[in-house]
Amino acid sequence: MAKVAIIGAGFAGQTAALYLGDALGAEHEITVINRLRDFSYVPSWVWVGIGHMPVEKTLFPLEPVYRRFGVRFVHGKATGVRVHERVVVVERDGGGEELIGYDHLIVATGPRLDFEGTEGLGPEAGYSQSICTAPHAVRARDAYLEEVARLEKGERRRFVIGTGHPGATCQGAAFEYITNVHKDLVRRGVRDKADLLWLSNEQALGDFGVRGVAVRRKGRTLTSEEFISAVFKEYGIRSQVRTGVLGLTEDTIAWEDFQGEKGETGFDFSMLIPRFLGQPLAFTGRDGEDLSGDILAPNGLVKVDARYGLPYDELTRQPDAWPRVYQNPVHPEIFAAGIAFAPPGPISVPHVTPGGTSISAAPPRTGMVSGIIGRVVALNIIDLVKTGTMTHGERMTEMYAACIASMGDSLWDGSAAVIMIYPVVPDHVRYPNDEGRDLFVTHMEMGLAGAWMKRMIQTTFMHKLRGRVGWRFIPE
Amino acid sequence: MRGSTVEITEKDRRRMNNKLLQFWRFVVLNLKILKGVDVSKRA
Repeated sequence: MAKVAIIGAGFAGQTAALYLGDALGAEHEITVINRLRDFSYVPSWVWVGIGHMPVEKTLFPLEPVYRRFGVRFVHGKATGVRVHERVVVVERDGGGEELIGYDHLIVATGPRLDFEGTEGLGPEAGYSQSICTAPHAVRARDAYLEEVARLEKGERRRFVIGTGHPGATCQGAAFEYITNVHKDLVRRGVRDKADLLWLSNEQALGDFGVRGVAVRRKGRTLTSEEFISAVFKEYGIRSQVRTGVLGLTEDTIAWEDFQGEKGETGFDFSMLIPRFLGQPLAFTGRDGEDLSGDILAPNGLVKVDARYGLPYDELTRQPDAWPRVYQNPVHPEIFAAGIAFAPPGPISVPHVTPGGTSISAAPPRTGMVSGIIGRVVALNIIDLVKTGTMTHGERMTEMYAACIASMGDSLWDGSAAVIMIYPVVPDHVRYPNDEGRDLFVTHMEMGLAGAWMKRMIQTTFMHKLRGRVGWRFIPE
Repeated sequence: MRGSTVEITEKDRRRMNNKLLQFWRFVVLNLKILKGVDVSKRA
C-alpha cells in the first residue's frame, strides 16, 4: 500500500487530493494536512474586501469531501519533514504532535505572506490592509467601509492599492481590488471625493508579472499596457509603476523607483500585496541534520526539476529551464505544486536600481496555474504507484492560462478583463515573435461577459473542488 | 479602443454593456477557454 501525503489544501493541494483520492483512495493511504478546516476560494476575496460578498460564500469544509474520496484529513500545521524516515511532523490543531508517513510527498503549502519583509506592512503589525487570507479580507472590508462612511460625510480620502514589496507578485488581485473599489465608490455616489492610486513594482502597467500580454486586433498589436492604461484613464485611477515599496508609517508609504529616486506617498487606506516566500518547513536528515539546502531555494520555496541560476537573458532562451514534473531532483519522492515550487527566475524583466534595490515582479503561480500543476503532480504519482513511470508533464512555457480579472461584480453593469495567455512563460523558440507567445490563442477583452464568467467560474470551481458530479470535466 | 494612445470610446462602452452582444461574447470566450485548455494539454 502506497502512502501519499499532501501538505496544503489550496488550489494545487485540493486538485491533487481529488485526483489521488479518486484513483488511489480505496486501496492506498492519501493524507491531506492543512491548517484550516475549510477550503478557501481566494479569487473572490476581492469582493469580500469591499463588502459585496460574505466570506462564508468563499469557504467549504474539507473533511466531508475527503470522506467521499477515501482521503484522510489531518487538521494541523506541518512543521517539518524527516526526509530519511519519510514522515511529516504535524502539530495537530487540538494539541499534540502526529507523524504522517509517506512514500510520495506533495508540498502545496501556498505562500508565507512576508509582511515582515516591508516595515509597517500588513494589517496585524502594520498600517496596510490585505486580501490574502479570509480574516484579512474581512478586516480590509471593515477598514474600507469606515473610509466609505467618511466619504459619505464629505471628507476627501486617499486610497493606495498595489504591491507592498519590490519583489511582490499577484498584481492581478490588487488590480481587481482597485477597480472594484472604484466601481463600488461610483455606485455609492462618492467616487469624486476619493483619490485612487495604483502603486506597483511592475515594469509597466499591465505587466502582471508575466511580461505583459500583446494581442493582434484589427491589424495592429494591442498591449496590456495600453489596455490597462485605457481602463485607468476611464476610471480616473492614477498610477505609479516601476516602484518598490520600502516601508510604511501610519499615513505614509516610502518607496524607491527604477531610477533610484526615493519618495513618499500619503494615504488614508492602503491595500498592498506582500512578498510571497515559502512556508517554514524544516527538512531534516537521518541524524537531524538540516537538508534545506537540497530541497529549498533561498526564498524557502521547494526546488524542483528546473535549471536554477541562469541569467535572465539565458533563461528567456531556454524554455526547458522551467520545470516539467515539479519533482525535487535530490529527493525524488518530494514534489511541489502551486506557489510552493521555486521558479527558475522571473518572467518579467528584472531591474536593479542604482542603489542596489532589486525591483522585480515575481512570477504568478496562482489559480489556473496552481490547479494544473496540482493535476500534473497527482497524475504522475498515480503513474508511479501503478506502473513506476511518470507520463505527465507541463512546463509553464507550454501551459495555457485564463485570467478573469473582476472590474465590478454586478451581473447587470459589472465588468471584467478576460485575459488568456499561451504559453504563460514566453517561449521564443516555439514562437519567434517579440512576445514569445501564440498570438492567435492569446486574447484580451473587457466587458459584462467577463463579470458573468467570473461569477460562473466561482460556482463551477467550488463545484469541482468539492468533488461533485462531473468535477473531472471542469478544467483547472 | 483606438489610436496610438488607446482610449475607451463611446462605442466601446455601448459594446461592453450590450447584453445581447455580451451573451454572445460569453459563449465565445468560454469556447475559447476550452479550446485553449485543449491546446495546452496537448503541448
